[in-house]
Amino acid sequence: MPRMGGMSRPDIRQWQPPTEAEPDLVALVARVARGDHQAFELVYGELAGPVYGVVRQVLRDPAQSEEVAQEVLLEVWRTASRFDPARGSAAAWVLTIAHRRAVDRVRSESAGSRREQKAAATEMVPDDVAEVVAATLDHQRVRRCLDGLTELQRESVKLAYYGGYTYPQVAHLLGVALGTVKTRIRDGLIRMRDCMEVTW
Amino acid sequence: MKILADDWHVLTGSYALDALPDPERAEFERHLQHCPSCEAEVRGLRETAARLAMAQALQPPPGMEQRVLAAAYRTRQLPPLPPEHLHHRPIPRRMTAFAAAASVAAAVGLGITQVSTQHKLESTQASDAAVTRVVTAPDARIEATSTSAGGSVTVVASTALREAVITSTGMVSLPAGRVYQVWVISPSGARSAGLMAGRSTLLASAVVPGDRIGITVEPAGGTSKPTTTPVAVLPA
Repeated sequence: MPRMGGMSRPDIRQWQPPTEAEPDLVALVARVARGDHQAFELVYGELAGPVYGVVRQVLRDPAQSEEVAQEVLLEVWRTASRFDPARGSAAAWVLTIAHRRAVDRVRSESAGSRREQKAAATEMVPDDVAEVVAATLDHQRVRRCLDGLTELQRESVKLAYYGGYTYPQVAHLLGVALGTVKTRIRDGLIRMRDCMEVTW
Repeated sequence: MKILADDWHVLTGSYALDALPDPERAEFERHLQHCPSCEAEVRGLRETAARLAMAQALQPPPGMEQRVLAAAYRTRQLPPLPPEHLHHRPIPRRMTAFAAAASVAAAVGLGITQVSTQHKLESTQASDAAVTRVVTAPDARIEATSTSAGGSVTVVASTALREAVITSTGMVSLPAGRVYQVWVISPSGARSAGLMAGRSTLLASAVVPGDRIGITVEPAGGTSKPTTTPVAVLPA
């Protein structure tokens, strides 16, 4: 079929969150715990993009990121019965596993040295790679709320979360005291929580 | 060297972002078992971190879905944990019925200390009538525990009224500029139920089963979120 000329770059595949009303992830995870394949495919559709995105943000290397993202999603399948909805949202449960796995991978030495050759700390995975960051409401909102932080809070949160650095490493990179970084990370995150009206 | 409660609490942010180096991460996790206000804060910050992740969603590589699904359907799932392994806290020892009744009677008899409304703390202007209503409710439950600030605290709660009466006795007097603050702790976090000066009684509303009551030491005037480890926590 002929392409409508010049409207968008053909090699860019935008990640599109499902357009239906947000499915009830808690109910889906409960079905996954009972071995329901269809429910797992729906959970995959909802969360594979964010899982791969956050892992890639930390690890940078696409092959390694895919490997870790797959481990994370397999872990979701395997441990769905252990998810406790009283302790947080299903998305936070999955993305906590994802970030932690990525960070554990980074902190094992070999992966760390490979990663350091890859990229500088705070810069985000650039928007012009083939897989483009979704221009979702989440994205705009997070960006707006990050803009509301002080410079030091913002850099500390981004280095810790997107960079996967420990707070002593963040302190070193920013040239500030350990106590300052601990405080800025907490204050910055609390401000983000309030700005995004997180209800947990 | 002893790590002070406040030093622990400031680590909630770093913990939620997986930014604690390893020995500290394990220590903080042990601390979380005994610090409901830290745990409540970690939950909210974890949810916040999840939003940071959602904002960075990327199209996964082609074929990843098939590989994940194929691997999953070859993998045995873990069975659910038996109920006793679910998150449980030690239940504070109960007061004898007589002691509890006496302490509540004393509280009602002494009247209600006016709670501070500074900083728009959602303090309730408790009246003797309101307290009496709770402690005489047919479904009133009584919990009591000693506090790490000495003395004890008693909570009488009614599910039907969704209210709880909190009474403390014998807690140490705080230096100027510090005050005891009472919190209702639910999965969505901790909200203030008001300030407590010396021996006093507070009425907390919108309390539901599963909520817990905590008392922390805070700067005079109170804060919007707990900033120290509670001196006592008990079920509402």
